[in-house]
Amino acid sequence: MAIITEYYLLLSAAVFCIGLYGILTRESALLFLMSVELMLNAANINFVAFAFYWGNLTGQVFSLFTMALAAAEVAIGIGIILVLYRNFDGIDVTEAATMRW
Amino acid sequence: MTSRPRLATEVNYVNGIAALALFGVLAYVFVTAGLEPPRGFGEGSVVASIGYAMFDLVDLVPDAHGTTEGFLVAFLTIAVVLDAALDGAVMLARRDDEGDSVEAATDGGRPVETADDAPTGAATDESSTEAETAGGDA
Repeated sequence: MAIITEYYLLLSAAVFCIGLYGILTRESALLFLMSVELMLNAANINFVAFAFYWGNLTGQVFSLFTMALAAAEVAIGIGIILVLYRNFDGIDVTEAATMRW
Repeated sequence: MTSRPRLATEVNYVNGIAALALFGVLAYVFVTAGLEPPRGFGEGSVVASIGYAMFDLVDLVPDAHGTTEGFLVAFLTIAVVLDAALDGAVMLARRDDEGDSVEAATDGGRPVETADDAPTGAATDESSTEAETAGGDA
């Protein structure tokens, strides 16, 4: 008895909206990164769910690549947060409003 | 700075309503999409087939797992991207003053408050950190 695809999609939409709410609400750059990860993983849930729906492995393989891309993004993001902390003495994203300072 | 997690009470509720509305729209679309029952995968190891697809060995993938294309180029591209991201992270995290060796500061690099009984190691850390940020009050 397989779980129907709609439940996976509802879970994915919930995770995506939680991430969106985090991005809209939070001011800490670390929580921004976590929220972006939530939105990316919502896309991964969709990939795996539709791979099972169509009986095709491409979605599962592609979700692995998405995870690797998310890891690269987090590495760059944490580097940016370090620079932000050094220059602004904090990681509030609303303070860094200009490209140059 | 809080010392323990606290419930955020001064949040913007319009954002929450917007996120909830988006979830409502998405849920409505998904429930009324009329999807068929999933086909699923037949016999055979899915993990093994993922490995075969990732290294262009698509002939070894059983037919029950569908027609799968090779992902070797994407695999190598992601490998290069991960390497570049590691280099970029190290480049961003490296301090500008390369000369003096900085001790590992477990307080996140925040300038240390001057206390009367501060150890000497913390004092040197503080001076170097303050010289960089130039925003301390000690």
